[in-house]
Amino acid sequence: MIHAVLIFNTSGIPRLTKFYTPLHQSSQTLIQKIFSLISIRPAGLCNFLDAPELEAFLGPKDGSDERWRVVYRNYATLYFVFVVDGAESELGILDLIQVFVEGLDRHFENVCELDLVFHFDEAHHILAEIIQGGLVLETNGDEISNSVKLASKARRNSFASANPLSLGSGPGGPRSGSLQTPLGWLTDRLAGVATR
Amino acid sequence: MAANMRGLTQFIADIRGARVRELEEKRINKEMANIRKKFKDGNLDGYQKKKYVAKIIFTYILGYKVDVGHMEAVNLISSSKYSEKQIGYLAVTLLMHENSDFLRLVVNSIRKDLDENNEVSNCLALHAIANVGSSEMAEALSEDVHRLLISPTSQTFVKKKAALTLLRLYRKHPTVIPAAEWALRLVSIMDDQDLGVVICVTSLIMALAQDHLDAYAVCYTKAVDRLHRLVIEGEYSATYAYYKVPSPWLQVKLLRLLQYYAPSEDATLRSVLHEVLQTIMNNSAEPSRNVQHNNAQHAVLFEAISLAIHLDASSPLVGTSAVLLARFISSKETNVRYLGLDTMAHLAARADSLEPLKKHQGTIILSLRDKDISVRRRALDLLYSMCDTDNSELIVGELLRYLKVADYALREEMVLKIAILTEKYANSYKWYIDTILQLISAAGDHVGDEVWYRVVQIVTNTEDLQEYAAKVVFEHLKSPSTHESLVKVGGYILGEYGHLIANDTGYSPLEQFQVLHSKSQFCVASTRSLLLSTYIKWVNVFPEIKPQLINIFERYRHVLDAELQQRACEFYSLASRPDDDEVLQNVCEEMPPFPPRVSALIGRLNRKLGDTEDKRTWIHGGKEMNLERHANSRKATLPGSSAPGTATVTGTADAQDVMSSLAGLNLSSSGDQPDSSRVDGSVVAPRVAVGPSVEKWFNKLTYSAEGVLYEDVQIQIGIKSRYQGHLGQLAIYLGNKISVPLTSFTSTIHVNDSEALSATFAKIPPNTLVPRTQSQQLLHVECKKAFSSFPILTVSFLAGAHQSISIRLPISITKFIEGVKLGQADFFERWKVIGGPPREAQAVFPITLDGTGQLDLVRYRQVVSGNHLEILEDVDPNPSNLVAAGVLHTSVDGKVGCLLRLEPNREAKLCRLTVRSTSEDVAAEVLRLIEKLLRLDSS
Repeated sequence: MIHAVLIFNTSGIPRLTKFYTPLHQSSQTLIQKIFSLISIRPAGLCNFLDAPELEAFLGPKDGSDERWRVVYRNYATLYFVFVVDGAESELGILDLIQVFVEGLDRHFENVCELDLVFHFDEAHHILAEIIQGGLVLETNGDEISNSVKLASKARRNSFASANPLSLGSGPGGPRSGSLQTPLGWLTDRLAGVATR
Repeated sequence: MAANMRGLTQFIADIRGARVRELEEKRINKEMANIRKKFKDGNLDGYQKKKYVAKIIFTYILGYKVDVGHMEAVNLISSSKYSEKQIGYLAVTLLMHENSDFLRLVVNSIRKDLDENNEVSNCLALHAIANVGSSEMAEALSEDVHRLLISPTSQTFVKKKAALTLLRLYRKHPTVIPAAEWALRLVSIMDDQDLGVVICVTSLIMALAQDHLDAYAVCYTKAVDRLHRLVIEGEYSATYAYYKVPSPWLQVKLLRLLQYYAPSEDATLRSVLHEVLQTIMNNSAEPSRNVQHNNAQHAVLFEAISLAIHLDASSPLVGTSAVLLARFISSKETNVRYLGLDTMAHLAARADSLEPLKKHQGTIILSLRDKDISVRRRALDLLYSMCDTDNSELIVGELLRYLKVADYALREEMVLKIAILTEKYANSYKWYIDTILQLISAAGDHVGDEVWYRVVQIVTNTEDLQEYAAKVVFEHLKSPSTHESLVKVGGYILGEYGHLIANDTGYSPLEQFQVLHSKSQFCVASTRSLLLSTYIKWVNVFPEIKPQLINIFERYRHVLDAELQQRACEFYSLASRPDDDEVLQNVCEEMPPFPPRVSALIGRLNRKLGDTEDKRTWIHGGKEMNLERHANSRKATLPGSSAPGTATVTGTADAQDVMSSLAGLNLSSSGDQPDSSRVDGSVVAPRVAVGPSVEKWFNKLTYSAEGVLYEDVQIQIGIKSRYQGHLGQLAIYLGNKISVPLTSFTSTIHVNDSEALSATFAKIPPNTLVPRTQSQQLLHVECKKAFSSFPILTVSFLAGAHQSISIRLPISITKFIEGVKLGQADFFERWKVIGGPPREAQAVFPITLDGTGQLDLVRYRQVVSGNHLEILEDVDPNPSNLVAAGVLHTSVDGKVGCLLRLEPNREAKLCRLTVRSTSEDVAAEVLRLIEKLLRLDSS
């Protein structure tokens, strides 16, 4: 099972946190702990990390050599981190991270860190279409995008009915602000903002 | 949407603008105070509530603790506007956890959304339950969730969410879900057209099947079939290909699911599965440039190797895997090295022979020095699993050397593993003691108490070891800095066995005392009290150093520590008694051997297994350990043992382990492994369909080769059969009589006694039956021994609702009889040779006459010859009597002769049937079968 999905940037500031298991301690210290474990690992090491240290946060893992495992991937200024147990295939999770990133990219069209900041709710909705209750719900990019669209349509309709004066424009599309700083996810081009 | 709430955007921008953390905190505190005030004042409209709750969520994501807004989130859920409802649900799933009191307030709103005729609301509700569902919710909502899952009108995206939600509820409260009852219905969804649904349902089935292996057994066929279609037929929608690999997640799940079951006996399934695994392995032979493609392919490959190991650790497939793995562990890519070592540990844990792995021992040992700690951990696990008596000295030596430079995070575990390996695979006592003491002095703080307790236990129980242990521990104590654990071991062993070496030069009582006592001042109170106990033992055996010892007791009588003081006082008065007093001698009797007890070492490594979590299919450690664990878990699942008794199970496992590890140290053979032969839990036979016509069709088929077996408004089942010797072939015709397809079509065969009769489909049956057509499935049967119950065919399908029909197949032992022609003399000679009971079975029963009041001889002949016995003419002088002979062919028990005599009597309306056979079971069974048919009305 997947126990947590975290996104934080290279300075350790959380951008999306989702726990599927109740925490024993504050999420902030957990994120800092994971960040300190991961950020020191140079590129070229594997994407998996046994983390017995996390027992303090998530409770001990039952079973003989069950351990908390951290599967992470670094895209430009962001770390995508999944905390999983032995029931998940490590490489499968790595693929899932890629699906998640592609899902975000599809929705925000060239997603960047700022999209996650200002549209945190939408990022959560996308995640909800991929993982539910710690289990893989859908992995097909088209399906994910359809479900997300369906929900935004419902939202837009309810918004329009609530504000008849808004002329149905609503949010007008996922990226309505003037903030456009694409990170170039898939090319790994570093162009993000590393400020708070 | 967040973007069109200006206040929120401003808030976010402010926080981003904060240069230092203090400013950020200040801004957040200000906002929270404002929100608290607004909420307190009340009178907020939906939009405002939504805005404030969104701000709270944002604060939460940044990692701050928030304690407001729960009530408002609950209110938003019941809003009629989707945008408000959505934020409400988001807040509930993020801010609350399963034990929140607030959740009670949302159960009703959630139920309302589940029942609503609007999929988008259904999804929100399902998602909320899947994230925060508690056992209370399971009680209230599991029915509704199940309905959404199986309803034919549910959209696929609702079904997917419902499946995972049901899984969550099951994990929280297993007893509310009638898992066994729902089994067939749930498994049928594995045939869904939509792969997304299949992935989710497979997750659900995996969890349920682990706890109800037998009820979900049919999922095995479904999983194999699905793999075959994905991997070999390439039958999947293009959008489910992930970088050209057909849904790797589903493949991994199915391969994992198959590992929960014992390897199938069914030859067809085995060969299909073999083909699938072979193809997966071949596919990986050509690595591609694309990282994602490689990842996905390897994900499937590693799981396939695990399954191959599970199926048969000595098969050629595993041979191929071993070669692949060897390549992986020296790969350039760290991920691949990591997983290669991990999977190799699985192989080591199950393989009969470790030889193929030992070839790579050098590479593996080198991996202990990999630049990545994750890889180092896996290498450690692998070395632990592949250790045996042949390479134990090398591996343990290597581990000891590595221990000195290992990461701190790894050391404690390493110590534990080294201690276990040393104990399990010791070739000599000397080596055991040397290594353990070396371990204690090298690892110091990382040595748990369990380790030195165990040393003491083993030395006490092994007489030959005591003198050597005393000498070695003394030598270790002589080094200038010693770890406290070593002082404890030294104190105990020298106290008990110091006198054994006291006569050798260099080990005199005084020297022993000086060495040990010089350590005392660096030790904590508990160690010092242990040393005091050592001294009182010495008072008993070394009178020459008694003055020094009494002196110490006297000094300790005044220390502040209560425990130390008490011991000193007691020991002082004990030591001051006159020399001829026997109390001291009695008190200091040598320690009796320890009763074999739970090895704390392994106990600590194997903590109890979780209840409803996905279980591992293997553990680190050698083959024996896995066998034992398997046997134990089997025991636990057998009916009669206490249901949740995981605790007791670990207890027995540990006890056994101590026995075996002690046995190992006695250097006697440790070859006797607990027998892990599969205990066949009594599988409940499916309930058979009944009805007058069902009975009639069935009886007719027991003495004829073809005909209708079952028919109703939707489906018709017919049979054609052919037998030769001990083999038979049944063509089962399944006809769909209605105008819609029957989907999720599943047919399974249940055989009561699989030792005696095997029945397997020639290939995996297709899962759809097209309208108004007939499909044919071939069934191969083999008679191994005499058997007495009919196999049962269960077909289930979806035609609107889910239906299932179980029906007996007319396969009895007489089908495997071949008639023989015998003359009168031959017949009676054999008849006499066989003789009376018990090899004769006889019955007298009433019969009905036909319309004209005559015996229905034609029908009798039909029944007898339909049971494959040759009717012998002119043997019996009475023309109404019938005599027949045949030979039963079985593949295991060979041929069994069988003679029959039927004597109907028209006047008495009675009939006497006698069967003689070389096997009493066969005689009784043939009698039973034929009598049943003759008793029937001839109508």
